[in-house]
Amino acid sequence: MSASTLIAILTAGLTNGAVYALATIGLSLVWGSLGMLNMAHGALLTLGGYAAYTVVTTYGLPAPVGFVGGIAAGALAGAILYGAVVKHLLKQPSETFETNVLIATVGIGIALENTILLVYGGQPFRQPTSMDGLLRIGVTSVPVQDIVIILVSLLMMGVVGWILARTRMGRAIRATAQNREAAQLMGVPIRRVYLQVLMLAGALAGICGVLVSSITQLSPSLGGDPMLKAFIMCVIAGLGNLPGAVASAFGLALIEAFVQFGAGARWGFPVLLLIVILVLIWRPTGLFGRAAIRRL
Amino acid sequence: MLDKRSLLRGSIGAGVAGMAALASVKPSEAAGDSGPIPVGAALPMSGLSAADGIEFKNGLELAASEINAAGGVLGRKIEIHVEDTKDMGADVVSQSMQRLVDRYSVPVIINGYNVGTNMVEMDVAADNDIIMMHANTLISHNEKFKTNPERFYGSFQMDPPEFYYGPGCLSFLNDLIKDGKWKPANKKIAIIPSSVEYAVVIANAMRNQAQKYGFEVSLFETVGFPTSQWGPTLAKLRQDPPAAILVTHFLPQDLAQFMLQFTPQPTQSLIYMQYGPSLPAFRQIGGQAVNGVIYSTVIGCLPDDFSADFRKSYREKFGPGAAYITGSQTYDALWKWALSAAIAGGAGKPFDKDQAKKVSHAIKQLVYRGVSGVQRVDPDGQSAYCYPTQVSDPSLGMPHQFLQHQDYKSDPKLIAPALYATDKFVLPPWIK
Repeated sequence: MSASTLIAILTAGLTNGAVYALATIGLSLVWGSLGMLNMAHGALLTLGGYAAYTVVTTYGLPAPVGFVGGIAAGALAGAILYGAVVKHLLKQPSETFETNVLIATVGIGIALENTILLVYGGQPFRQPTSMDGLLRIGVTSVPVQDIVIILVSLLMMGVVGWILARTRMGRAIRATAQNREAAQLMGVPIRRVYLQVLMLAGALAGICGVLVSSITQLSPSLGGDPMLKAFIMCVIAGLGNLPGAVASAFGLALIEAFVQFGAGARWGFPVLLLIVILVLIWRPTGLFGRAAIRRL
Repeated sequence: MLDKRSLLRGSIGAGVAGMAALASVKPSEAAGDSGPIPVGAALPMSGLSAADGIEFKNGLELAASEINAAGGVLGRKIEIHVEDTKDMGADVVSQSMQRLVDRYSVPVIINGYNVGTNMVEMDVAADNDIIMMHANTLISHNEKFKTNPERFYGSFQMDPPEFYYGPGCLSFLNDLIKDGKWKPANKKIAIIPSSVEYAVVIANAMRNQAQKYGFEVSLFETVGFPTSQWGPTLAKLRQDPPAAILVTHFLPQDLAQFMLQFTPQPTQSLIYMQYGPSLPAFRQIGGQAVNGVIYSTVIGCLPDDFSADFRKSYREKFGPGAAYITGSQTYDALWKWALSAAIAGGAGKPFDKDQAKKVSHAIKQLVYRGVSGVQRVDPDGQSAYCYPTQVSDPSLGMPHQFLQHQDYKSDPKLIAPALYATDKFVLPPWIK
C-alpha cells in the first residue's frame, strides 16, 4: 500500500470518526445523564444543517455566522424539546419515563424531518458553510474541510469534557446521572439540569449537522445515517459512557475505512454490525460499560 | 431516412390528434360512470427519494391540468391521489397501492420509480384488475411479465429496462474512440454500482459485455446505498487508473460528492454516471467539479422544440429549480394512459377486467411521442423499446440519451444519439 493510499484511507476514517464521535457525544450525553434515549437527535442534526444553510443563503451572512446559526438552532430545539415534551414526561413515574420519552422523541423526530421536507422540499442542497481547498501532506493532498471537521470535533469533545469535569453545571449533570432522586434531595435543580443537557446536546447536534452536510449534502433525511452510526457506537461503548463512545467512534470508523478499502466498500457497514453483535455477546454492557452504572 | 424535423412534425401531429380524440368522444356514450376519474400514484414523497417523488407528483399534476383543460377523458376530469411510499420497499409500496384502490377506487396507478419492490406493483395491479404504469427501469419487470402475461396484462414499464444502459454505454465509449474524440491510455474500465437492483443489473451488463466491446474490467466495486464517503473507493481507483470510470449508483447528491472528492486528485479517466446527473441537485452540490461528467438516461425530457412548452409550463408552475426531467416521466405516462382510456371507451374501475383489458390493449397499440421521446410497448415484456440499442428506427423507440455537463451553470448538453444531439462531446477538464 502506497503512502498516498494510506493517507487517503486514514483521512476518510478519521473524518468519519470525528463526525460519528460528535453525533455520539450528544446521544450519549443525554442517555448517560438523563436516562433518555433521544430518538429525535438525528432530526436535530438535520435542523442544524438547514439553519446554517438558511443563515448563509437566505440572509446572505458569512459562513461562520451560519455555523453559529446551526449551533443556536440546535440548542433552541433542545430547549423546546424539554419545554414541550420532556418536562411533562418527567412528572410521570421514573419507571415509565425511559419508554415514554423514547416513543415521544421518535414522533418528534419524524415530525421535524417532515416539517423540514415541507419547508425546504426534497431536493438536496449543498452546504455553503464549508471550506474549499487542499492541504498538501507528503505525496498527497487532503481536503481542508476534512481537517476542519476533525479539529472542530476534537475541540467540541474537549469543551464537553471540560464542562462536565470543571464546571458547576457539569457537577450537577454528573450528580443527576448518578442518582436523580438523591441529587434532587441534595438540592440539585433537576429540571434545569435536563434543560441544560438537552440544549447542550442540541447544540452538538447542530454542529454535527453542519459538518456532516459539508461533506455530504443537505436533505431532510440527513440525520438518519449519523444517528444510526452514533447508536452503534454508543452500544459498543456501553450506553452513556462518554469517553468510551468517542474512542469507539474513531476506532470503528477507521476499521470501516480499512474494510471498505481491503474487502470492498459494501462490507464497511456489515462489519460494523458484526462487531456490535460480537461485543454484545462478549460484553453485554458494551466495551466500557458497567452493569447498571452510568458514568460521565 | 428520418430527420429530426420530420420526426417532430409527425409527433406534434400525433399529439394534436390525441387531444382531439380526448375531447370529441361523447362522455355519456362511452363512460359507464360520471364524476372525476381518480388516478392514483404511489410515490416516495418523503425519505431518500423525496426529491424525485415530488417531481413525479408535479408531472402528474401538470398533465392532469392540461388533460382537464382539454375536456378530460371522455368528459370526465382527472383527480390525482398520492400515497407516500417513504423509503420504499415491497411492503410499503404494495400497501400504498392497495390503499389507493380501497379508498379511491382508482382504475390506474401511475408511479415514478420505487426502489426495492421486487416488482410487487405488478401483483397489486393484477389482483385488483387495474392499470399500473411505472418507470422503475428494471429488467425484472420484463421477466416477471413473461412468467404470466395473462395475469400481468395491466402492468407497463414506461421506459426501457436498465439492462440497455450496459451495452449502450460501452457502444458509446467505442464510438468516441472510433471518431477520434477520445484517446484512452488503456482499455481498462472501473465499474462502481451501489447495492440496489437497478445499479447492479446495469453494472453486470457492463461487466458481462465489456470483453465483447474490447474493454477490460480493472475494478468492480459495489458501494452502499446511499453513500457519500468515497475515500476508500477513490484510493483504489488512483492505485490503478482506468480509462473510464462507470458509476451506476444513481443518487444525485452522492454522485456530486464523488466528483467533489475525485477532482482534487483526478485520474486520466472519462467519468460516466447514471441518471443522477440529470437532476439539478447534482450541479447545485457539485458546482464546477461536475464539468465534463457524462451521463445517460433511457427516459427524460428531451431538450428539443417539441418539449419547449412543457419545460416552460413546468418551471412556471413549480419553480425555476424544478426538475422537469423527472416530472416528464409521469407527465408522459398520464397523457398516454388518458388517450388510451379514451380510445378504449372509458377508464373503468377496479375489478372491471374487461374494461381494464381494453385500456391495456390501447396502451399497447398506441405509439406515443411524449416529451421524453417515443413510447412504444415491447410486447415481449411490456416495457418501452430502446433506441438505438434495441430498435434502429428512432420513431419506434425511446432514445437512450447521452448528455454531458459542460458548464455547471447551464443545463447539460445532449451529445448522443446523433439524431437528437444538440452539442458535441468535449474532453473533461481533468484529462490532459
